[in-house]
Amino acid sequence: MSASTAAIVLESVSKRYGSKTIIHDLSFSVATGEIVGFLGPNGAGKTTTMRMIAGVTAATAGRVTVAGYDMATQNTDAARQIGYLPEHPPLYDTLDVSAYLRFVARVKGVDRSAIPAELERVTAACRLEAVVRREVYKLSRGYRQRLGLAQALLGKPDVLLLDEPTAGLDPGQIQETREIIRAFGEDHAVLLSTHILAEATLICRRVAIINHGRLLAIDSPSGLEQAMEQTNRVTLQVTAPAQALREELLSVDGVSGLEIHPFPGDHDVLSVECQVDARDGIEAAIARAVASRWDLHRLDRQRPTLENIFLRYVKEAPVRGETA
Amino acid sequence: MSGTLAVYQKEVSVYFRSPIAYFVVAVFLLGTGYFFLYNIFLTGDATMAETFQNMGVLLLTLIPVVSMRLFSAEYTAGTMELLLSLPLAPWQIVLGKYLGAVTMLLLMTAGTLIDLVPLYLFGNPETTTIVAGYIGFVLLGMACLAVGQLFSALTQNQIVAALITAAVLLGFWFVGHLQSFQTSYALRSLCGYLSFALHFADFIQGLVRTEAVMFYLVVGAMALTLNASYLQWRR
Repeated sequence: MSASTAAIVLESVSKRYGSKTIIHDLSFSVATGEIVGFLGPNGAGKTTTMRMIAGVTAATAGRVTVAGYDMATQNTDAARQIGYLPEHPPLYDTLDVSAYLRFVARVKGVDRSAIPAELERVTAACRLEAVVRREVYKLSRGYRQRLGLAQALLGKPDVLLLDEPTAGLDPGQIQETREIIRAFGEDHAVLLSTHILAEATLICRRVAIINHGRLLAIDSPSGLEQAMEQTNRVTLQVTAPAQALREELLSVDGVSGLEIHPFPGDHDVLSVECQVDARDGIEAAIARAVASRWDLHRLDRQRPTLENIFLRYVKEAPVRGETA
Repeated sequence: MSGTLAVYQKEVSVYFRSPIAYFVVAVFLLGTGYFFLYNIFLTGDATMAETFQNMGVLLLTLIPVVSMRLFSAEYTAGTMELLLSLPLAPWQIVLGKYLGAVTMLLLMTAGTLIDLVPLYLFGNPETTTIVAGYIGFVLLGMACLAVGQLFSALTQNQIVAALITAAVLLGFWFVGHLQSFQTSYALRSLCGYLSFALHFADFIQGLVRTEAVMFYLVVGAMALTLNASYLQWRR
């Protein structure tokens, strides 16, 4: 992707607090019309990165550009193009929903005459119509989260930064929120931090994995799967002598390792996990080799899920120079 | 400027949707009313001088309550994250909040005008002295609020913000008393110049001196500038 079409661009961005470096040389971009999932364990640097893009905190080194504006020198111009929902919705408890949204709309520069229509648009999109006159402190957690999302949508920003937007929502609300994000992402740039990997698979075109402040991978979920094909596994259940089965399987081209266990509840049957390479037809070759000599009860090829990919990256990533 | 105005209106809304504003105004007006009656009956003079003096001390104790939440509450509620991500320069946030707090001060001050009714009904007070006293009171309050707002920005804990503000304001109020202990002319002058109370005394006597006006305005401006710089630095 060219940086010129990207709405969010991070170029060698680092962030230090005192002597501690939280973000190391981070570079990636998000294009208009793209939803990028931002994954990482707690403390990986997701929120700090989101805060730098939102202009809440400045990068110590490198450059953050939003909608063409440099966050270091054109912070206020960039902020007009950003809708930001932090991890904890930033709400004024004593205001009512309408007053809160009106305040944000005014600061975002929404024309005074257009504010009622804009409020109507976001309250309808976030299903807040029933609570428009209610004080914020009286709202349930789900409504608070949706109000946080509504303020982010105000002013039709080019870029949406969402830190755990579905946290605290019930399944129905999660579905609705994902639909809102998906619709918004069709013609805007969305960076979505989430712990729910299924959510990233469902709505994100690309996924960025971060840990210890370093970008470990960024690609489409299918691209990450292909990159991880080396970890494909074939599992089978077969009635056979363990040693002969092991020798037979290891003689199959493409099988790099295996583990054999007795099948729970039936000691005649063995459960086998084979590590195999990425080539097509590997499971057919294994099936031929086993079925010609023994009873093959079941054979499955397991492709890596985003969970596997995420855990693999996070566990394998070295912890380098946390303090600089 | 619309951003500053939006922050200002939000501040005023937040003040009057929480019990703090009503509590502070009530305590201030009750206190002022008590001191007014006490001074009138004690002296028998149709003057506000003593009452202004008492109002100044009362103000020092209540300003920390008004100012403590200005930034500390934003930090603890997580709304500072919102303010910093919106198209607002730090000075707009600082100014909007400050003007909201000054509105509170003006409302408190306006409430004391009722004391003037019996003064004019039953006496013959000097209007210019009273006007000068009110000008001094508002300027004193504005300087104190700016100092309180600065300390509120420096800590997430409202109580800590209030206590530091109270300590600093009392220091500024009583620093004039150190004059008599100083042998050095320079130190004596400095103690006098920094004294909130001595400058306020000029206004109470009916003197609107440029030096005193500038003193309060400069203290306020310095505190607000430090406040905005701190937000920028924090970012």
